[in-house]
Amino acid sequence: MIFFKPEFVLFFFILFNLYWFLPYNNVKKQNWLLVIANYAFYAWIDWKFVALLFASTQLVYIAANAYQNSTSPSKKKFLYIGSLVYAIGVLCFFKYFNFFLQSFNDFFKLLHINLGLTQLKILIPIGISFYSFRLISYIIDISREKIEPIKDALVFHNYISFFPTILSGPIDRANKFLPQLQVKREFSYALCVLAFRQILWGLFKKMVIADNCAEITANVFDNYIGLPASSLVLGAILYTVQMYADFSGYSDIAIGFGKLLGFEVNKNFNYPFFATNIAEFWRNWHMSLTTWLTEYVFTPLTILFRNLGKFGLILSITINFAICGLWHGANWTYILFGILNGIYFIPIILGNKMYKKRKKGAKYTLLDFLNMALVFSMFMLSLLIFRANSLSDFFNQMSHLLSKSLIEVPFIPFNKPLIIQTLIFIVIMFIAEWFTRQYDFPLFKIEQKLSKPLRYSIYYLIVVAILVFQTKTENFIYVQF
Amino acid sequence: MEKEQILSEVQEIFRNILDQENLVLSAQTTAADVEDWDSLSHIQLVVAIEKHFKIRFTSKEIQSWKNVDEMISSIQSK
Repeated sequence: MIFFKPEFVLFFFILFNLYWFLPYNNVKKQNWLLVIANYAFYAWIDWKFVALLFASTQLVYIAANAYQNSTSPSKKKFLYIGSLVYAIGVLCFFKYFNFFLQSFNDFFKLLHINLGLTQLKILIPIGISFYSFRLISYIIDISREKIEPIKDALVFHNYISFFPTILSGPIDRANKFLPQLQVKREFSYALCVLAFRQILWGLFKKMVIADNCAEITANVFDNYIGLPASSLVLGAILYTVQMYADFSGYSDIAIGFGKLLGFEVNKNFNYPFFATNIAEFWRNWHMSLTTWLTEYVFTPLTILFRNLGKFGLILSITINFAICGLWHGANWTYILFGILNGIYFIPIILGNKMYKKRKKGAKYTLLDFLNMALVFSMFMLSLLIFRANSLSDFFNQMSHLLSKSLIEVPFIPFNKPLIIQTLIFIVIMFIAEWFTRQYDFPLFKIEQKLSKPLRYSIYYLIVVAILVFQTKTENFIYVQF
Repeated sequence: MEKEQILSEVQEIFRNILDQENLVLSAQTTAADVEDWDSLSHIQLVVAIEKHFKIRFTSKEIQSWKNVDEMISSIQSK
């Protein structure tokens, strides 16, 4: 795991001390130090594409300022469209070029025409999906006059390349993040304590739950043909939890590192599995991406299709989620994952429940808990497509799933104590999250609830759990996107 | 058309769509001041206003209004 490699720990230790305790420190020095750290970090992870990151950032910076200074509408339009096409084009080239080429080939093959377009050997730059989205929203926000372009290039480079979030988000927005870079960050002991708590909780989710789930689910999905269908269901449940623990764990760690440098990074998860319908679930799952898509894809589409009534809304949400799926990668499985989630919204739209939010403090009924289970199952089904290598792989799994062995006792020919121990930790995680769901994460206000000895016992237990129950550390799932 | 006249017609549309008989709009009213004026009802309000005044807003206009006054200025400019 990147954040806990000895090189990273040393890098962060040096940065942290220089950043906070350098004499005569000011905002300029902090920003210079940070930008060097950001690019050094990126170069360490993926040196081949540092130049691309720098060039894209610089280009958008120059175009945005030229846009602001220009009085000619045609020049403004050229700069706006040009920079947008560049940002989207670079993303599409690296992520989707071969996919579209292959899809063209396949389509024409159906018409008995062999195009024979050869694919290019393209490596995907790390974090491109995340930093491209920052660039795109920055350009659009300026054209919508929501923000003014930043004059200080140093600040802008820091925003795009901010190392705690460049690999897998959260996708911070310019209006919230740029102002934080324009003032000197003051060291706060309380914020650092909070950051360490959040990192600790993220590590627990990642190393104790997600990594152990990964071992089990890999075993189930690799050997499911010889197992009863109920084992595949158990594997799918564990995969759904794994996805949550992995990505929300990563997000907590990234947000924690942001806090250690004095920044408030966007929230990415808000206990999505306690949602009682799919719209609420998606408002709380990968929030920085869903709010981004809502603003720049879904809302413009609803405006475009505004005369089509509810059908327009259904069309908008389906396209929005197809793009959400495609964002994850160039594979039809991701697109279908997105479309299925879009289709899940149809009953909610028809029942006018799309924007209905749960009243704060409203008591949960048995029906609410059944709805939570339903939302979990629906998302789990879509993750089966997400995880499959191809559509045929998914259909094979589905045909295996819909068999008599679905009602058998699940059996996994794998380290049984590991499975039981993982299930126990999952229950602990959800109980802790349920009782602290009004806070950002379970250890958030722990000092107000528990005495010091009890608090430290809990930290100690979490650290022990991480050390004792950690397994082969997997990379974060979302780093590949 | 005078701003006041437009405001009163827009207010009537808001009352119908949001089903709030006693709703009073002023030029300075924002979405935060009106219960149920959310992103979904916003689109419904836009459709109703366009039909009533027989106009068509641009996508940029719909997303840029900060208060009722800016919405009325857009209507006036058509």
